[in-house]
Amino acid sequence: MTRRIVGTALMGLVIAAMIVAAWLVPGEQGVNLVSLILVWALFAIGFDLVFGVAGMMSFGHAALFGVGGYVATNLMVFHGLDFMSALAAAAVGGALLAFGLSVFAMRVSGLFFSLLTLALAQMIYVLASNRLRHWTGGLDGIAGVPRPALLGVDFYDNRNYYLFLVAVFVAGLALMALLRTSPFGRALRAIQANDVRAAQLGYNVNRLRQSAFIVSGAYAGVSGALLASLMFYISPQMLHWTTSGDVVIMAVLGGKGTLLGPVLGVALFELLKEELSQYTQYWYGLIGLVFILATIFLRHGIAGLFLGRGDEGKGGSS
Amino acid sequence: MSAGTLKCNDIRVSFGGLKAVDGVSYEFRPGKLTGIIGPNGAGKTTLMNALSGHAATSGGSVILGGRDVTRLPVHERTRAGLGRSFQMTKIFADMSVLENLEIAAFAHRYRVQPFWAPARRFRAVRERAEAVLEEIGLFRLARRPAGTLSHGDQRALEVGLALLSDPSVLLLDEPLAGVGRDQLDGAVALIEKIVRGRTVLLIEHNMDVVMKVSDELVVMVRGRILSAGSPAGIRADKAVRAAYLGEED
Repeated sequence: MTRRIVGTALMGLVIAAMIVAAWLVPGEQGVNLVSLILVWALFAIGFDLVFGVAGMMSFGHAALFGVGGYVATNLMVFHGLDFMSALAAAAVGGALLAFGLSVFAMRVSGLFFSLLTLALAQMIYVLASNRLRHWTGGLDGIAGVPRPALLGVDFYDNRNYYLFLVAVFVAGLALMALLRTSPFGRALRAIQANDVRAAQLGYNVNRLRQSAFIVSGAYAGVSGALLASLMFYISPQMLHWTTSGDVVIMAVLGGKGTLLGPVLGVALFELLKEELSQYTQYWYGLIGLVFILATIFLRHGIAGLFLGRGDEGKGGSS
Repeated sequence: MSAGTLKCNDIRVSFGGLKAVDGVSYEFRPGKLTGIIGPNGAGKTTLMNALSGHAATSGGSVILGGRDVTRLPVHERTRAGLGRSFQMTKIFADMSVLENLEIAAFAHRYRVQPFWAPARRFRAVRERAEAVLEEIGLFRLARRPAGTLSHGDQRALEVGLALLSDPSVLLLDEPLAGVGRDQLDGAVALIEKIVRGRTVLLIEHNMDVVMKVSDELVVMVRGRILSAGSPAGIRADKAVRAAYLGEED
């Protein structure tokens, strides 16, 4: 128990140090990298509510991420909506799409759920690349995605926008911390451990799983909108299945089922990408190698190092 | 807690061509413990699954407290006052004993699970869980991960989970399975204590125990009720003896 608290505090310190260090490094290189990490981390902690807490392996989160980005971009670029409203709309858009996907995908469970979410997300990717070119810019994407205009601060300056992202990240993290320790979060864990028992105790298992998926969709929507505005650009690549794969890798690498693990997973992923891509175009293959080694030697991801969970494996939950 | 009524009308459950439960009609006596015995494969657990919603019926109806629950999903039946323990222990092994009971307590207390505050803030739920913890005699093990408990204690926790919703009808599927000889007396005493005032169905293979705790016995063979009556009457029943001797030995 105490090991858990100390480990979590240490992980929090590492993340805080990363955020502060990036700010202290002169120039924009540090903040640019950590900006990217924070946006993806928001995506990953939302994803982990479904994946690590409720135990559903979604392979379609790219759809929620990309649609969030497109909702915000369209509203701002073509309809002149302000940034904060567009961000809220991205959350709603992600949540609504998550609800829509869940209606189909939750008819099945396990591997079939993964495959169905993958298929549905790919369908959206294909639609976005071709049929919906009018809204998505097709494979060219849409450039010139705006940033917020708040309090007279120039958020087109990357260092200023960094502070905005840190604030959104901290708020999102705090909200997720609450959700996970709430009775709602515990119920999701119970469902993952034993859904038959959870239903017998009186939990509406499907409704709870669906709720988790919808919350996760809102997180994905917001982070997708933030990524688009960070890059000033959005393309259907965000909807591609490899984006879904990336977030799975990040969560597993960091430690699924923990609040801060996925954040560290994102940090490692982005750091490796940044460094390795300078030396070789095959950086993705090397990340794959790191991922394979981690699943063999670090069964609980980076978080396992902090929380003292070695390779002993979890006790069965039958 | 009030004694609930439970009635089955011509319940049928088939697995492919196998008629696991083949037309069972019975009205269980409210507030009494009914033991269900019969050889392996007689359909005892399947009948219990049909009553709790874990097995789909191909015919017949389940009436709980005067209400037809045949089409209700598992969690709705629990909310209607039906509790159940499982033959294979289904506890949350990685969570502490107290957390196990709190999870049951939250399920019982809230239809929509609170998401706006940490679980530990809910005092009333904690107290309810602790009360059951006391009742099943596991208070000193509250902080232990449930998976590390002895088999007998896990069975007690399993019963405790079923008990937390204060069900008016309680289905116990072999609560003593695998409990060691040294823990048997305590386990039987626990069952006798918790069932008081409830309508209870008990599947149990230990004949001494069943005969001792049951008010009434139902004998199942090949998916049907062969005989029903008082334990003494059943003990003397020739047909029951024949069914047992013919099939098991």
